[in-house]
Amino acid sequence: MIRDITIGQYFPGNSYLHKLDPRAKIVITFIYIVALFLCKNFFSLLLLLTVSVAAVLISRISFRVILKGMKMILLIILFTAVLQVFYNDKGTVLWQPFPRWDFVITDSGVFSAIFLSVRIVALILFSSLLTYTTSPTMLTDAIERLLSPLKHLHVNVHALSMMMTIALRFIPTLIEELNIIISAQKARGADLDSGSLTKRAKALIPIFVPLFVSAFRRAYELAFAMECRCYNGDNGRTRMKVMKLCLRDYLGLLASIALTAAVIVTSYLDLGSLFLFESVI
Amino acid sequence: MALLQTNSISFGYSHGTPFEITALDHVSFSVDKGETVAVIGHTGSGKSTLMQMLNGLLKPESGAVLMEDRDIHADKQQTRQIRFRVGLCFQYPEYQLFEETCFKDISFGPKNMGLSEEEIRQRVLQAAKIVGLPEELLEKSPFDLSGGQKRRCAIAGVMAMQPEVLILDEPTAGLDPRGRDAVFAMIRSYQRQTNAAVVIVTHSMEDAAQFADRIVVMSHGRLVLDGTADEIFSSAEELMNMGLNVPASTRLVNELRSLGYDLPRNVYTAQAAAEEIASCLRRSRP
Repeated sequence: MIRDITIGQYFPGNSYLHKLDPRAKIVITFIYIVALFLCKNFFSLLLLLTVSVAAVLISRISFRVILKGMKMILLIILFTAVLQVFYNDKGTVLWQPFPRWDFVITDSGVFSAIFLSVRIVALILFSSLLTYTTSPTMLTDAIERLLSPLKHLHVNVHALSMMMTIALRFIPTLIEELNIIISAQKARGADLDSGSLTKRAKALIPIFVPLFVSAFRRAYELAFAMECRCYNGDNGRTRMKVMKLCLRDYLGLLASIALTAAVIVTSYLDLGSLFLFESVI
Repeated sequence: MALLQTNSISFGYSHGTPFEITALDHVSFSVDKGETVAVIGHTGSGKSTLMQMLNGLLKPESGAVLMEDRDIHADKQQTRQIRFRVGLCFQYPEYQLFEETCFKDISFGPKNMGLSEEEIRQRVLQAAKIVGLPEELLEKSPFDLSGGQKRRCAIAGVMAMQPEVLILDEPTAGLDPRGRDAVFAMIRSYQRQTNAAVVIVTHSMEDAAQFADRIVVMSHGRLVLDGTADEIFSSAEELMNMGLNVPASTRLVNELRSLGYDLPRNVYTAQAAAEEIASCLRRSRP
């Protein structure tokens, strides 16, 4: 059900990751993703995966919650893996299911499929922690601060981040509303799960019309409410909570840079037979 | 045999996440033909979940929902048919209007039942009459109506299915006293015509006392009290402990009685309170 989607959700807590400055968290996540794409062999990948798992442990968010959130992405991972297996025809042939066709499964293909899957898992594991441990307002606030240099290019950074805040803020509200509307129309006998494709598409009209109407109504109400409080963009606006980087933020950044360095060293320096795993991609 | 009943049903939301809640905890509830039951309780007491159990929108994790002694979840096709027999009108039903005209919107339910054109037309007109929606409004867009008319149109949409059990989740939310009386009058009128069972979820003790034969009190997912207005409001202290209140008129009469006035205990409506106080004054000044 829709209410079980946990990606993008915020789980309040008091761990090291929760306390980390959201700007530092965004930058660290970014560095981690770069490192993930720089990594070329299983050893460095293992290193990155370990860091991901460690980060989850530090955040004290239960693995069950995180795995539940990843269920949705499992299909994409499987699809990518299968594609990789068939796409790569380098290396020694393991199996040729159709002898007449030029279609083989090679050891290198299997390796790269595993490699890619693990990479996606690590990517989602780490980046989902960003939203799990940061409230949406903190997150958009941080994005606004990080993008603030763009103001000199006459980009309205504040409006952008306000739009993002509002959009994020209304996702749960609209999901809740959607659930109620679905239930209400079902109560009047709407049949959503059977019939032909066109019949099913038509069955969505009683759901989407009220949802749009209510989204516009909420937008009006919010706009009025904001104007009533003299909202005027960021002209002369000050902050109640001023973000300040402190020691733990610098430590986090330092650790992520060290990790990237480690990945580069293990990936690009020829350490040869020291590691069993050769470069696969 | 009750018309509709729940046998010790339990239900929870978001299992396995930090947001896990038990919405219903072994709730047994029943309602009979021609009866009016008010369900009262705090926000989050499980009232709305219970209502969605009654028409099969939600399936209990344990226990069963029985209509005329048959489990409504026995087979899937039957579950859908139950929704026509147990009409559920959600809170703020006007937010679920979607058709081009009121007529089409009210006919959405009957149309889903697979009735004939003529039958649908008849039912829509009948429902519109019960809720007091003038015929010339039926060809208008529901979005052009006033708030009160929208509410009428939406309630008519449920009544047009002619359910044997009519459930309304806070049908008077956001209405002024006159609108409130009008909504209760149309529910009464529907009940007179069809002898349906009516279940009303409400926050208002006054509404419950005035309107219902029986009152059910929910708290933290459990059904804690079930009885007539007399029985429920005589345990005023218990209600207070649950953060609920007795009707304002009952409170007033109780205060006056504690000051020594000779007033009865079973006063729940403003009307009754006014009469009792008047007669008490007449007695004391011969």
